[in-house]
Order: sequence, then C-alpha cells, then structure tokens
Amino acid sequence: MLRDHVKLAVKNLRHRFSRSILTLLGIAIGIMAIISLLALGEGMQQAVTGELSSLSDVIIVSTGGGGFSSFAGGGSTSTGEYFTQRDIAGIERLQGIKEVSTQLSGYGLAEYNGKTTVLSLTGMEVSVMKLQYASQNLEAGGFLNEGDQNKIMIGNGIAHDTFDADISIGGRIKINGQKFFVSGIFGKQGFGGTSSDSIVLMTSRDFKKLTGQSNISLIYLRVNNVNDAESIATTIQNAINENHGKKDFATATTMTSILKTVQNIIGILQLVLVGIASIALVVASIGIMNTMLTSVMERTREIGIMKAIGATTRDIMSIFIIEGVLMSGVGGAIGIILGVFGSQALTLILNGFMSMGGSFNLVPIITITSVVLAVAVSLIVGVLSSLYPAWKAARMSPIEAVRYE
Amino acid sequence: MSKDVIVTQNISKTYGKPPLQVFALRGTNLHIKQGDYIAIIGPSGSGKSTLMNLLGCLDKPTTGSIFIDGKDVSTLNENELARIRREKIGFIFQKYNLIPTLNALENVELSMGFAGVDSQTRTKKAKQLLELVELSKRLTHKPSEMSGGEQQRVAIARALANNPSIILADEPTGNVDTKSGENIMNILENVNKKGETIIIVTHNMAIAQRAKRVLRIQDGEVQEEHA
Repeated sequence: MLRDHVKLAVKNLRHRFSRSILTLLGIAIGIMAIISLLALGEGMQQAVTGELSSLSDVIIVSTGGGGFSSFAGGGSTSTGEYFTQRDIAGIERLQGIKEVSTQLSGYGLAEYNGKTTVLSLTGMEVSVMKLQYASQNLEAGGFLNEGDQNKIMIGNGIAHDTFDADISIGGRIKINGQKFFVSGIFGKQGFGGTSSDSIVLMTSRDFKKLTGQSNISLIYLRVNNVNDAESIATTIQNAINENHGKKDFATATTMTSILKTVQNIIGILQLVLVGIASIALVVASIGIMNTMLTSVMERTREIGIMKAIGATTRDIMSIFIIEGVLMSGVGGAIGIILGVFGSQALTLILNGFMSMGGSFNLVPIITITSVVLAVAVSLIVGVLSSLYPAWKAARMSPIEAVRYE
Repeated sequence: MSKDVIVTQNISKTYGKPPLQVFALRGTNLHIKQGDYIAIIGPSGSGKSTLMNLLGCLDKPTTGSIFIDGKDVSTLNENELARIRREKIGFIFQKYNLIPTLNALENVELSMGFAGVDSQTRTKKAKQLLELVELSKRLTHKPSEMSGGEQQRVAIARALANNPSIILADEPTGNVDTKSGENIMNILENVNKKGETIIIVTHNMAIAQRAKRVLRIQDGEVQEEHA
C-alpha cells in the first residue's frame, strides 16, 4: 500500500518536474547552510581542542585574580609581589608533579639606535617558552634554543614602534649595558591580547645574570596524570595564598578549564550560526507548502477520482505527505552534498582572512551527528509543511472534486 | 428471483434550509436486482446526478436509507463509504476521469491498490481486464496518448477491477464518436450478460432503449417506464 502511495507521489513530482526541483532546491540550500556551518564549528572546536589538549597536563600559577589574562600576557605583576622560593619548594613537595618551571619578570633599561627606554623583561626556560607561545606566529626569525646566550625574542611593537628605527633579526639591543641579539620577532597580535606585542623574552639564565634577581611572576608545572590537574591546582592555590596571607594572591589555572571555556564559547557561536541558517529552512518549508497547495488545487479532479474509486482520507493524506517528504528528503540529500563542498569553500575564505592574524588552520569536519540531524530535520520539515495541503486534499468531497473543471 | 443489490427506502435529497429548501430528489423507492440493466433518463437538472451520486455512495441522502447488498450505507462515515465504493461500485464517467500521470495498466491497478490487493495479482487482473476491453496493445500508454474511446475502455476495465456489485456509468458514450460509443455499449452489455448489474445515466434515448429497465426522473421524482 505504502509502496503504491510512493509510486503515485513520485509520478506526480516527475510530472511537475521543474516545480519540484525548484521547491526542493530551497530545502537543499537550507540544509547546505546548516551542514557547512556545523562542519565549520566542529572544525573550530577540534582545532582549538587539538592545540590546547596537548597542554592539558599544564597548570599555570599566576599572581593576581585573572589567571587567563596573565597567561596570555606573559606575567603581569600589577600587585608588585612575586612568588617566593618557599612557594616553589611547596609545589615541588606535592605528589604527582612532573616538572616545575618559572617565569621571571623585571625591568631593564634598553638602548637601541641612540634611544633609551625602560622595558619589561621576561625570563623563562626555553621549553616553557615554546609551550606558551606555541600558538603565536612569528614575523621573523625563530624561537630561542637550549643553551642560547645573549639572545632575545621581541614583540612586534618593540620591533616597530618602541624605537625610532625598526629592529630586524640580528639587530642588537643594549639592555642594562649588555648586548643582546634579536633572534625572533613575534607577529602582531592585534585584538584581544596586545601584551605580547611589547614582550622581551630571554632565557632564565640570562635574566638572572642580567638583573641579579629572580622575581617569579608565573609558575608552570606539569602533572603526571591529567585527571589530577584540577585538584592539584586547587591545592597549590590554597597553599600559596596561605604562604602570603592573602585570599587571592595566586590563581592556579588548568588548561582543561580554559579548554572548556573556549569550547563553550564556540558551542554558543555554533548554535547562533545554525539558528540563522534555520531561517532558510523555514522559508523553504513555506515553499513546499505553497507548491503543495497549488498542486492540490490543480489536482482537485484527480483527488476526486481517487476518492470515487475508493481512496480513503488516509490514502490521500499519505500520498500528499509522501510527496512533501520526498521533496524535502531529496532536497536534504542534495543539501548535505552541497554542504560538504560549501564547508570547504567557507573554510578557504575564512583561512584566507585568518592567515593574516595567526597560524590557525581550519579544517571543516562533517560529523555523523550533523548528517543525521540534517536528514531528520528535512524529513520533519517535509511532513510538517505537507500536513495542511494533504489535509485539504483529503477532505475534498468526491462529488465536488469530480465535477471540478 | 435474483437478489436485490440496491434497495432505497424513501430516500430524498434536499439542499438548503426551509423555507428556501430545494428538493433534488423526493421520496424514492427502488429495488435494483443483481444482473439488472437500467437506464436513468431525464432532462438536465432533473436530479439524475443526485440519484447517481446517492447510488454510488458518493453522497448521503437527507432522509431515507440505501441498502447495498443488504447493508445500510446511509449512516456510514466517509472512510466506510470509500470502502463500499471500492468494493461494491465501479464508476464510469463521461469524461473518462483517468489519472493523467498513470498509464493504462496503472490506472486499472489503482483501485485494486486502494483495496489492498497485492501487486502481482493486481497486474495479472489488470491485464486480463484490458484484454477484455481490447486494449492489450495499449498497456503502457498514458491517457493523453489514447483516443477518447480507448480511454473510456480503460475506465471500464478500471470499474471492473474490484469485482463490484454495480457498475455506474454516467453518460459513458457522451464524449466519444458513434462507432466507439457502440463498442463501449457492447462491452458493457457483455459484462451485463455475465451477471454484472449495470446502471447507465444518459439522456441519449437510443442508449436508454437498449436497457432492460428505464427509470425516468422529472423534478426529483423517479418513475419506472414500462417498455
């Protein structure tokens, strides 16, 4: 029985071929938008997750309340206080810690091309440096290497704005009377985190030698077991706060918590984008309803004949609903295929924009879930939008319908 | 004596409400027996179509009862009526009324499909019926690819598909040339000879005179005409 209904529906759709195609195109475009935006969002999630999850065993302890901004800024010491050796010793005594390293902060008098200015200096282990600035692209040069002496990496602002002349790779800056060679220049950060534009980065050893100080502004540590990260972070935060007798002296942030925050933000963004794409689907479903209503009007006579020769209300409803579902189903399938290409195109464009600002490389990811969702949505749209036309067709009186010219 | 296939008890059909009530059909009592060959005649507007719609279970009487094969159909709901139509009644319309998107074979199979006959049996039966109406060579032709006479023969095959108790034909020769008309009447009469009940609505007297019984309708009143 159902097979006959499908057969009838297919014949009708083919009979009105161009109209059917145009109608299902509406659905195809809506589904394409949803598929490609979901793929893009998933791609973003995975890119961010991939970049951050390699750091999931890292805990960053910074002074002051804002853990994340200190991380991005590379050690702000607005409170004017630093971690003490006692803090470090305390952390090293804890169970489950793989390694601890520190970031040192201080100020130095820098001279270049005859101009002298005070710069904030940052010293850290080379390994930590690579870890922390992994996502930062370089304008020129490279990272410092283990064993490097008297070499620095500088922020984009220092290279181009601080002094009268631009500084390039191999340039020499005098800091506190000591010559340093510039071996790497960071790319411009732009919005969101301008702080790395004014950074001067050197090895811990150089920093200590130069300033004679070891002011610890940030502590990096890695844990053995990622699952312990949260609890260890809390323990450390409490212990250091106790050491300093302040409630909010230190903030210990795990990468996992940062990861979660970022994922939430992308998730919301994704939801908004898909919401916008759904508008296209609503419009398309109105299109289906419109086409179907026209079809019901045109086929008044045909409906009457079918009822006269014994079609029940259910038969007629079924035929029309199947027509709607077929249109939206085929539209949805085309939409999914278009969505695969659409997401690639969208990514190309987005990567084109982003290559100016970062080393971020987006790859669209089409998940089974999004395909299943698209199929389900298009079928539901088909049923819903053909329900009213089908009902209208089914309640036609066979006499009126047969007489209809 | 063969059994009654249709019995009407004092059926009437009115449109509108008093005092503007219009009687399309007044208290009509009919007994139609198995194997009858009946012509219903009368001028336009006399109530022919109303009677035909009532006998064909396309419409319900305002008062009175209609029994088809002993079953009162005047109280049935729409879906039950649809079932009666596909099981008991075969329609033939003046304008053939085939489904334009389906070919001859599919058109004949359609009502069997609604009746739930499986597709193998259906195709076999449809081929037999199309052979009966001499259209074996037109199985895959769409209505638009056939002449009026051929389309009407497909309609006859369709009407016979579910072995109905009654064939109701509304001006079956009204839209075809004389020769095709003759052919159609011969087919219907052959079917009648095999025991099928045939009711033809017409205002063609030549057609009407071929029937065994003639019912004349005038102003909503039915009278048996004796030959």
